[in-house]
Order: sequence, then structure tokens, then C-alpha cells
Amino acid sequence: MNNPTICRCEDVTLRQLEDCLAAGGTEVSLREVKLQTRAGMGICQGRTCLPLLAALVDSTGRGLPQDAGLVRNQPVRPLVLADLARFASNGGGEATRCSG
Amino acid sequence: MGIKTADAVVIGAGVIGSSIAFRLAEQGRKVVLVEKAGPGAGASGSCDKAIFLQSKRPGIHMELALASRRMYDTLEAELEADLELKNDGGMVAIETPEHLDFMRDFVRKQRDAGIAVELLDGNEARRRQPCLSPHVLGASFSPDDAEVNPLALNTALFRAAARHGAQTMTHCEVTGIRASAGRVTAVETRRGSISTPLVINAAGPFAGQVGQLAGVHVPVKPRRGTILISEAVEPMVNGSMLCAQYIAAKHLAAVGSGNVPPYGIGLSLGQTESGNLLIGGSREFAGFEKASGPDVMAAIAGHAIRIVPALAKIRIIRSMTGFRPYTGDGLPIIDRAPELGGYVIAAGHEGDGIALAPITGILVRDLVDGKTGPFLHALTVNRFAVPIPA
Ligand SMILES: Cc1cc2nc3c(=O)[nH]c(=O)nc-3n(C[C@H](O)[C@H](O)[C@H](O)COP(=O)(O)OP(=O)(O)OC[C@H]3O[C@@H](n4cnc5c(N)ncnc54)[C@H](O)[C@@H]3O)c2cc1C
Ligand code: FES
Repeated sequence: MNNPTICRCEDVTLRQLEDCLAAGGTEVSLREVKLQTRAGMGICQGRTCLPLLAALVDSTGRGLPQDAGLVRNQPVRPLVLADLARFASNGGGEATRCSG
Repeated sequence: MGIKTADAVVIGAGVIGSSIAFRLAEQGRKVVLVEKAGPGAGASGSCDKAIFLQSKRPGIHMELALASRRMYDTLEAELEADLELKNDGGMVAIETPEHLDFMRDFVRKQRDAGIAVELLDGNEARRRQPCLSPHVLGASFSPDDAEVNPLALNTALFRAAARHGAQTMTHCEVTGIRASAGRVTAVETRRGSISTPLVINAAGPFAGQVGQLAGVHVPVKPRRGTILISEAVEPMVNGSMLCAQYIAAKHLAAVGSGNVPPYGIGLSLGQTESGNLLIGGSREFAGFEKASGPDVMAAIAGHAIRIVPALAKIRIIRSMTGFRPYTGDGLPIIDRAPELGGYVIAAGHEGDGIALAPITGILVRDLVDGKTGPFLHALTVNRFAVPIPA
């Protein structure tokens, strides 16, 4: 086991992350690592892997001093689409009817 | 911090700036690519993955998209990267008789322009795309529409630029442009200045602000778009899908009739290699305000469920909001700034920057080499003699 999986949701291994980190020369943000490897983009939205990711980026010595990390884009908890659609205030009536 | 020099400085490492840096570096030019955050920090990291041809107006718009589409055939080999390019076609779902009339006419014009596109009736459409609702009256389908992973594209262009010798500076904001006798002489960054006779503003939705640094007017404004992203599910969508409501609204608005739906809602639906569904989307002017409220997300969800009912039970894990660089006529600006020598604008690709990234690199290279052509003629900055409509 010298290539453990770091992000279980997205199946991203340590080696993939190291390859990604080796590519650039300058500072690197967690967001870049996420965008390039998909780590942290899984169903748990990084709750499991984020601390490991942050530690990995830091260990390269190229982490940003004030990295905001992965911004959680709402919704924070998985929600089915039908429930989301019900949020609609009656504004355009768009959620239920075709306005044509 | 020694004095850096370059033949060209490219500002912005989205798909557009990275594509330009790659093409200029490939010619042996000494290029510095400067990016405020990282590649994919802007629109290129918050967008869909469609290379749509059939949504384009016949004419220059369509020809540009076609030329760029052809370049994708060899791009993976050129960039030595897997871009998850898929030639799996695209579809526009039609829900109402009015939209059917509109699309019939639109498809005919596109066929005249040489695009492989056909109009399917409801049953044919559902045969190709079984997830479509029974009320869908038909769909246009083109086998030429394709998909690419925009993040893979951005990363591959960025790395190819570096491989060809471009120096990349990320997490480094451009803060000023120096000029003398009406010509660019240097670019100021948070990490020192770079002497250069040529600067290329590829800052996408931020191109207006970057223009201001040099007193150059760049008529680009941000048009916000939100997409919902689902958990990974079994394959359920073939290729990419749009809805006729939005296409009709867009093209009718361009000729001054028809109205755009609330929040500019129109379906965009696709599925990534990993199985996540990308469910869009909205088109709004809200400055650079990042959060779009629950009303917008609800409207996107409701609209999508109406066309693809099976989506109702699918779980959304996050949303993504990006800013399209909007010019007003759906076309980018690729031109020399009239106000300042050595200043090139390459921005404003609105909802087509992924599709148009390959050709943009080539067009900027041509422009810098002093060449012209029908595309560059159509993409000048002075075509906006009047202010862009709100
Ligand atoms: C919701 C949504 C869906 C979309 N779907 C599609 C689609 O399916 N197909 C398609 O073809 N297109 C699509 N697009 C459009 C596409 O995303 C854009 O046209 C494209 O990404 C623009 O690329 P760009 O490189 O010009 O801009 P960006 O990717 O925004 O890059 C500009 C870069 O400039 C940097 N920058 C800004 N200011 C400075 C400064 N002062 N110094 C240094 N750097 C700076 C930014 O950090 C940014 O990284 C979509 C867009 C959105 C928002
Ligand atoms: S473990 Fe990485 S997103 Fe869940």
C-alpha cells in the first residue's frame, strides 16, 4: 500500500495528487488541486479528504499563506432535485409551468 | 526580483489565455503567462463542457465554431493530453408548438449553412434520449456537437504553454501597464515588473478591469451562470442537451422580439465521465456577485425536471457559479486596442469559450504576426460603436 487513496469519493490516489503538485513551480491553492484531480469534489464534498489534501499541499512548501481552502458551494448537504425545485417563490412560475 | 523581459505577456490563464500562450510559445516567442489565481479560477473552471455547433447563428458565428471544432480533432495529440473529448452529438429539446415552428426554420437555415442537423419527432427524440419527458414534441439533433472536459482542457493548454517555454506566474495579479509614446513598455505585477512590447488581455469576464489598467476600453461584462451538480449516477444522458426555449429566446431577442425567461433559465444538461450530471443553467447580469439565491437554483431544478422527469429523484451535491464574458453580440473581441500600441484584446467569448479556445490561440497568433482574415475582420473592438445593451 504505497499508493493510498486520499479522496475516497472520487478515487484519487496519493500518487495522482503528488503528480499534480509536482507540475507547477509556484504556489498552489487547494482549489487548483481540486480542479485538476477532482479530489474533494465527491459526494462528501471534501469532509473526509480535505484535511489530508491541505496537509499534502502544505508539505510541498508551496501552499498559499492564506488559502481559503475549498469554498463550499451550496447546498451543503445533498438534496434531491424535486425538493430544490419546491424552493421556488412564485416569481416567474418557471419551476412548474412552461411559459411558452 | 530581477528585471524580467518578454516578447509577450499574456494576462489570464483561463482556456483563452492558456491557448494563446501555447501558440505564441510554440513559435519560439518568449512568453510570460500571468494569472491572478490559478488556471481554471475564472469562467473556465465553472462551466459546462459542450462544444455546441447547432446553437449558433449561420454566418460568422457558425463558421468560427466550425473552424474551432475541426481543430479539436488534433488537439489531444498536440497537447499530449486526454481531454475527454467525445463526439457524441447534441440535442435541443422542443416543448411547445411555437418553439417547434421556430426550430423548424432554424434547422433549415443551419442545414443550408452545411451543418449536419436534423429535426426528430417526439418518439424519435425519446428513442435517442430515453430520459426525455413524454410531453416533449421533438428535438433537433446534430452528430457534430461534441463534449470536452474544460478543466482538463485548461490544464493541458497551460502545461503545453509551459512545455514550449512559456514562463507561468500563478497567484500573481497584474496591477498596471506601463506605456511610453503610445506603446506598451512593461507589465506591473504583484511580483515585479516585466518589460515587454506586447501585452494580451485574456482576462475573460475581468477584461474590462484589466483594460482600465491601461486606459483601454474593453466592452465586456460578466454574465452570471449557475449550474447544479449531482452525485455520480449511471449513464442517463446521451451527449449534451439544451432546450428550445432558451435558443428561441436568445435568437428572437437578437432580432428584437420574444422575451427571455426569468433569470435567463434554459436547460443545459450533460454527464461527466465520472457520472455526475451538470444541470444548468441561468444567465443573469449581477456584476461579480457570486452567490445566486435559492430562487435561481429552484428555477433551474424545476425547468430541468419538466424536460427530464427522472432528475426529480437525483441528489444534488453542489452548485457552481461562473461569469461568462459577455460582449452583447455573442462574439469575442480579438483585436489590437486602438488607444495603445502593443495592446491586444482577446476576450468576450461568453458561453462559447470552451468551444472557441483552439481557434482563439491561432487567431491571436495571426494578429500578432500581422495577418488578417475574415474572422479577425469580424471580431474588431470598434464594431461596438454604440454601448452594449444591458
Ligand atoms: C455556467 C457556465 C456554463 C458554460 N458552458 C459552456 C459550454 O458548455 N461550452 C463553452 O464553450 N463555453 C461555456 N461557458 C463559457 C466559458 O466558460 C467561457 O467563455 C470561457 O471559460 C472564458 O475563458 P477565458 O479564459 O476568457 O476566461 P476565464 O476562464 O474567466 O479566465 C480569465 C482569467 O483571468 C484572470 N485574471 C483576471 N484579472 C487578472 C489580473 N488582473 N491579473 C492576472 N490575472 C487576472 C482570472 O483569475 C481568470 O483565471 C460557460 C460559462 C458558464 C459561466
Ligand atoms: S473523500 Fe474526497 S470528496 Fe469525499
